[in-house]
Amino acid sequence: MWRTAESPQITVADFFAAGRESLQMDWEANEEKAVGREISEVALNRPGLALAGFRRYFAYRRVQVLGLAETTYLASLPAAERLRRFRIFRGVPAVVFSRNRHMPAYARKVAAELRIPVMRTQLVTGHFMNAATVLLQNLTSPRIRVAGTMVEINGVGVLLEGEPGIGKSEIALALIKRGHSLVADDTTILTRDSTGIIHGSAVEITREHMEIRGLGIIHVPRLFGVSSMRGSMRLDMIIRMSKPLHDEDIDRTGLDTASRNVLGMEVPLVTVPVAAGRDLTNVVEVAALNQRLKQMGHDSARELDERLKAMLARKD
Amino acid sequence: MRARDVVVQNRYGIHARPAALLVKTATRFSSEILLEKNGVKVNAKSIMGLLTIEGNHGASLRILAKGPDAAEAIQALAELFEQKFFED
Repeated sequence: MWRTAESPQITVADFFAAGRESLQMDWEANEEKAVGREISEVALNRPGLALAGFRRYFAYRRVQVLGLAETTYLASLPAAERLRRFRIFRGVPAVVFSRNRHMPAYARKVAAELRIPVMRTQLVTGHFMNAATVLLQNLTSPRIRVAGTMVEINGVGVLLEGEPGIGKSEIALALIKRGHSLVADDTTILTRDSTGIIHGSAVEITREHMEIRGLGIIHVPRLFGVSSMRGSMRLDMIIRMSKPLHDEDIDRTGLDTASRNVLGMEVPLVTVPVAAGRDLTNVVEVAALNQRLKQMGHDSARELDERLKAMLARKD
Repeated sequence: MRARDVVVQNRYGIHARPAALLVKTATRFSSEILLEKNGVKVNAKSIMGLLTIEGNHGASLRILAKGPDAAEAIQALAELFEQKFFED
């Protein structure tokens, strides 16, 4: 039902756009070469060894980061040698100078010759390596776009899914009015981070908006305040709203737990039949609270069943 | 009103799963269906009701049904008791 996950390819331009603020980056040279220039190995490399002459293993598919050690070393070489050494960067995706250092003249000459995008960051090298690695991982984490409305209910991230017109947005609206928050209406982007946690967020362009049949498009935080929206939320459960099932198919005890595989992780799934006169907002709210209870280690259905079995055994 | 006496034969008695099975089966029929033990009657289509009937192993219960498909309903429910709710 859901199309397969993709791990997006990213370009130097994507990396710069995403990290410009958080990594405090600016262009040094060849900004125009960044568009469409793929970072084929999503990682960073400090090219000290390669600059010193060891070329057998050089991670040239990675973004190259030059810190104080590299620039000081290059500065110690004769002028012609600096140019020669710097040419090992032929074909790398991009070069970054840390500590807000402008690139030296020899580097500018080679960068122009090899047409490599060059950036600088105000961060110190170690801090930049850490922050940029996390950013690159997030940018390329497996993701999937699903049809569903995501809400946050008392700290529980819930994806509501069901056929168009079944009332996902109306329930989200009612939940917002009760003080819960909207993450995404109608279309949700799910990503898996490096620790295996699934996060949901809205598509950037339609963020903060939702469509209510009969009203059209509304702007959620302007109507309900900033607390009515959440940028991103961990996915804790999926609530599937379905047309009335045959009674035989409904789980009446809550003992049978279902789950859905999302990007390789199992996410608890609850199916709620939609029937006339049912206050689904309440049901969804309670389902989220019950999920939270389960995460805290209390399974009410199972606990009642255990008590019941003990009581029946005493009577036997 | 039709009736049949049954005995709870599974080891754990009517706990949540057998109760759910009884409800699922009972709701297939349009008849009114009750389970009775020691004069206490509960609706066989109500899970919370069934959990209160204290149907321990060996308990004697009576299935009561009224309606167009009462005979079939009693037969279906009695079979669940016979089959020990597919548990043991």
